[in-house]
Amino acid sequence: MTPHLPPVTITGIGSVSPYGPLAGLIPQTPLEPTALSWATNGQRRAFLVPPFRPATVVPGLKTRRLDRLSLWALVASSLALKDAGIDLNQVDRSRVAVVFATAFGCVELTEAFYLSAAANGWNGTDPITFPETLASAPASHVSMFHGLRGPNITVSNKYFAGESAMMQAACLLRQGQADLAIVLAGDAVSRSMYSWYEEAGLLSPACYNSDPMSKAEGFIPSEGVAALVMESSDRIHARPDSRSYARIGSGRWAASGQPAKIIRQMLDGSVPSLTICSGNGAPCATSPTAALAREIAGDHPVILPQAFAQGLAGTGALFHLIAALSNRPVSGQALFLGTARDSGFAALLLELP
Amino acid sequence: MITGVGVVSPYGIGLDRLQAGMLSGKCCLERTKDDVYPGFEGSTAQVRELPPLSKDFSPRYSRTDHLAVVAAQDALANSDSSTFRESGIVMASTVGGLTEIDAGIAKDPAAWYRCPGGLLRASSYPFAHVADAIGEYFGIQGPRCAISVACASGAMAIALAANMLLDDAASIVLAGGSDPLCPFTLSGFSCLQALDPNPCSPFDQNRKGLNLGEGAAVFVLETLAGALARNANVMAVLRGWAMNNDAFHPTAPQKEGSGLADCIRLSMEMANVSGDDIGYVNAHGTGTPLNDSAEAIAYETAFRGRGRPIPVSSTKSYFGHCLGAAGALEAAITIMAVRSGTLLPTLRLTNPIESPGIDWLRGEVRRQPLPLAMSASSGFGGSNTVLIFGSGPS
Repeated sequence: MTPHLPPVTITGIGSVSPYGPLAGLIPQTPLEPTALSWATNGQRRAFLVPPFRPATVVPGLKTRRLDRLSLWALVASSLALKDAGIDLNQVDRSRVAVVFATAFGCVELTEAFYLSAAANGWNGTDPITFPETLASAPASHVSMFHGLRGPNITVSNKYFAGESAMMQAACLLRQGQADLAIVLAGDAVSRSMYSWYEEAGLLSPACYNSDPMSKAEGFIPSEGVAALVMESSDRIHARPDSRSYARIGSGRWAASGQPAKIIRQMLDGSVPSLTICSGNGAPCATSPTAALAREIAGDHPVILPQAFAQGLAGTGALFHLIAALSNRPVSGQALFLGTARDSGFAALLLELP
Repeated sequence: MITGVGVVSPYGIGLDRLQAGMLSGKCCLERTKDDVYPGFEGSTAQVRELPPLSKDFSPRYSRTDHLAVVAAQDALANSDSSTFRESGIVMASTVGGLTEIDAGIAKDPAAWYRCPGGLLRASSYPFAHVADAIGEYFGIQGPRCAISVACASGAMAIALAANMLLDDAASIVLAGGSDPLCPFTLSGFSCLQALDPNPCSPFDQNRKGLNLGEGAAVFVLETLAGALARNANVMAVLRGWAMNNDAFHPTAPQKEGSGLADCIRLSMEMANVSGDDIGYVNAHGTGTPLNDSAEAIAYETAFRGRGRPIPVSSTKSYFGHCLGAAGALEAAITIMAVRSGTLLPTLRLTNPIESPGIDWLRGEVRRQPLPLAMSASSGFGGSNTVLIFGSGPS
């Protein structure tokens, strides 16, 4: 993203997280993981979304037979639009994009489809379930529910799915392919996914007992969907009363390279007032991110990844950003930073009001 | 600029094999029984010859990854450049690593993972893995992501790669799609009663559904300045592109094809051309009753006012619907048409949908100069993507 291109503005936030469904920022109260909903051999825990009735949050919302990820995307997008104060009846819906990031997609119904194949054979699977297993189903439902006819993209990246979604959406806005974008990122904890983490030895001991998480190695799986409303500079000029959580400027990302050098070039000699770290909870991801953030930030504050979102593999970025915006100590230029193995990184420059 | 095209199709590896096979009129769709899962009866098109990957990678790579890596290798080989280290990657897949997983994983995941190779096989499940596979295999370090937007995926990957070039996120981007046959998707389309047991007949009034195929296509996209600076062989120019959504139904297209018609209009606006300038449309043309009728109306709407009917064909009649790879493979066929001036007919199209504004291509291959051609893709969930290709700069 070249610096001369006009910035885009984050004007609305919505989320469905272990804090429940929320419009706007996230409370700063620490959370404890909760017990898994399926039977396990001994107690196992994760940061799970508490049960709620979608229609009480979004009147008229019908969610029968949807994957939980689709359901949360519908609720989070509705809350973000509400938070942004946007009346879609006043918007050209063919100019509204939806960009959704997910690592695992609709795993709950994918497992259900496999179970129906195991029980009935491949010739006896469920026709209603199949389309809802697609990774793109949540984004499609968001477009259908809100009547949004702009670009609809489902994106993934091992470490930077959330950041990728933000950059793709910013690109659509800057290139004039949309005026407004709903950016979503999230995943759901499922039995097969949790078992994979467990068998691969990636989980924190805190998944099995009530030790304080901060002492734990590994990570605690987490779930939820966060949503941002992003608007082009033209729309912001036409809507002077709109809120601005942050303006997104230039950004860089790469699978590997020389992050410190490239980010310093992007900063053009300045030091960010605040550095917000993204990343999942595995030490291999958070430690290098924190080290790089401190190297770039100098004496300026660094906000580390939030515990409740560290277990969202690659899709926790939006939660880390929202949590940091909820508790930011400064205004001015901020750097939103994630790193990955082999010196991969994603870096976005933000202007905080 | 498109400076490299790599293809893995049921005809074999490479654009030349694809072109020779399709120009010969050979149909790769075959009746298969128990070939992909016990009890399956239908027609599919399979990639029979796939060179093995290095043993360092093969245990971790799904068939989706394997197809993609071979297609990328082909694209890089014919793109006469060794400067791909900083390239971006945008790859599409709907199947991802589902090929490596079976129903046992849902019954007892822990036991399934403990089977030899279980953890490794499952690690290729996320659809992002296909982009990582190409990056890792060829040591490409630039910005990388994967997308999954059902059957518009492959075309949308190309559109997003072009956006990345405009946005200066990279100077070269590899983009495309890869999807193999697998029991999960065959079962899914079968239970939806969307499959024609015989080779499909897109746009025919007696069409009965689609067939699934498999393959991959990867393109090298770069800016004009970059391509000229390294004296690259420009195979085609992506003149315009557009993406939108029907916002209508999880599986059915909007009945009047208005979403696709809008998408076509947007792509022509970007390319700064009119309907008269487009010489051929490579249609989505799945062969399902709903898709093909909506799509025909979309072409009638989008090309209304054109001086003569718009030539349209569906090349899914040759090797089926390759899902997340379909849009990329059809982009390759569209580029092939522009480069060679050959318009491929739809196979088995005997009684076309009545559409006076459409010149249904059937029977013989048509040969004519083709400055601009269009490839249209649509998918479950209402996504549409349209790409307009022209011949290289003079």
